[in-house]
Amino acid sequence: MIAPRLETDRLVLRHHVMADFEPLYALFASQRARFMDGPFSAKQMWYWIASEVGSWSLMGFGSWGIERRVDGAFVGQMGINKPHHFPEAEIGWVVLEQHEGHGFASEAAHAALNWAWSKDHDTLVSYIDRDNARSIALAKRLGAVEDPDAPLPEGDDPSATVVYRHRRAA
Amino acid sequence: MTTSITIPTIETENLRLRCARLSDFDAYAEFRGSDRTAYVGGPSTRTQSFDKLGEIVGHWHLRGYGRWMIADKVTDEPLGVGGLFYPADWPEPEIAWSVFAAAEGRGVAYEAARASLDYAFNTLNWTTAISCVTPGNARSIALAKRLGAVQEADFTTVDGMLLHVFRHPKPEAGA
Repeated sequence: MIAPRLETDRLVLRHHVMADFEPLYALFASQRARFMDGPFSAKQMWYWIASEVGSWSLMGFGSWGIERRVDGAFVGQMGINKPHHFPEAEIGWVVLEQHEGHGFASEAAHAALNWAWSKDHDTLVSYIDRDNARSIALAKRLGAVEDPDAPLPEGDDPSATVVYRHRRAA
Repeated sequence: MTTSITIPTIETENLRLRCARLSDFDAYAEFRGSDRTAYVGGPSTRTQSFDKLGEIVGHWHLRGYGRWMIADKVTDEPLGVGGLFYPADWPEPEIAWSVFAAAEGRGVAYEAARASLDYAFNTLNWTTAISCVTPGNARSIALAKRLGAVQEADFTTVDGMLLHVFRHPKPEAGA
């Protein structure tokens, strides 16, 4: 299985292609990745992307590359993933710096959440660095609620990581 | 590009090269967690092994080719991982192999590597292929030579990892 194609007003969520590697690596090798376990080496970046592509086959969910519809520009990544050290599936996002400020992450996250709810997921979490104000603001805008009782990924510290919980509407 | 690939299954005399799947995880994680991975970036935690199992599958979709789970043709038990491998930090696409402890000494790596070379040259029409071996990995160096590969200049990855490079002979047309 590969990522299903999802379309929104301005964006397409589609399976990752090799061309996504360089812009993501440039981002994850930079200080912008400080909230996402970065900076990454080339090897770490390869395993990150490839494992989230393979996740579609192993787990039935995984990551998408986000493209702008009007010109096909690569905007960032949206993912639903459960690596082995996560107690439950997470939805996460990253938008390239030059594409920030347009609400693309929100638009893509809505599409991914709706896809997940249509596939009988009842809940997803977002593990967010407490200092990552932009992602916390987006999680709240998406309707997620802080869940202080949720278990954390193995090795994460509650003083550094906050859990926001998304739920399918009843 | 929105094409997708179906990961092929290849059968040899004793082996089935097939897509990795979740049910292979325990065998793969046991291998990745063992000292057998000293020359292939290990040992790995179960968390790292899970990502690496995903990478085996994801590689196919990113590159259009990749590595298989090498399984026993009769029992389907996973015996190792091998095939065509080109992560982002590698010099060029390579033929790779790793064999789990229980399958050692049965010629599994050789048989899988032969099938991988055949797939690369005769199905994908590669014009050349290398194998990268970490210094000190005497068994893999011996296998590369047994496959007819010739050592070239070493390669250092962008992350600073030194690799011995062996280049495989291109098979004669029709061979």
